[in-house]
Amino acid sequence: MNAIRINVNKQMDGYSFSITPSIRDFIKKLFPNAHPANNIFVGYDTKSDFEIYAGKLENYIYPALLEVDNENDLKKLDEIQFIDIQTGNILHKVTPRDEKV
Amino acid sequence: MSEFLTRGWNVAIPEVDIGDDIFVVQDDNGTLRRVQVKTSTSKNRKSGYSGQFNVSVRNLRNITNIFVHYIFIVRHNNEWSKPVIIRQDDLLDHFENNKVGSEADGNITFYFSYTGNKVECSGQVVPRYTSVYDHPF
Repeated sequence: MNAIRINVNKQMDGYSFSITPSIRDFIKKLFPNAHPANNIFVGYDTKSDFEIYAGKLENYIYPALLEVDNENDLKKLDEIQFIDIQTGNILHKVTPRDEKV
Repeated sequence: MSEFLTRGWNVAIPEVDIGDDIFVVQDDNGTLRRVQVKTSTSKNRKSGYSGQFNVSVRNLRNITNIFVHYIFIVRHNNEWSKPVIIRQDDLLDHFENNKVGSEADGNITFYFSYTGNKVECSGQVVPRYTSVYDHPF
């Protein structure tokens, strides 16, 4: 698998971040103790408040969504792409091994 | 709807149609499921029959906190087929990664072929449930 794709759906009141079952299976195979979530919803107001103090929300979404928070485990992952599910546009890209998590 | 009611799920029809056909609620614990029912009339094939279904790409991609469960049933020989039940993210995954279904004019067409107890779509076997009760709803 090349990049891990996280789908982002912009709703009326916030963002839904989700992964497909094939990504979930891939993560479970790679990290048997992980229990990836189906989706995470974050309201627009929560996102903007959070980012003032903690930085880009996406950097906190992918460890929570994939349920992989060990730094060494995250470094095994290649690029993670946040894709607008309706348009297919890449909204954000992260390469965990290059990031300080 | 009676299938759900007999199994302890209550059923509600949305006042305004924005994609969901019914909401299904498990009375004793409040678990909510969104359901979209897709129906088709059968076409006979050499062995078995087939049914064709259209699903809106926009609705399929509109993933929210509660996934939609798509229920596909075919009218064949004056009877309804056993349902094929696929959760929204599974169906999207099959469409985007397994090349199941074909997209045109904002809709995805799924062509299911029924042979004996087997249902296939674009060459892939689709899980089939003898009743909604069998499905891990």
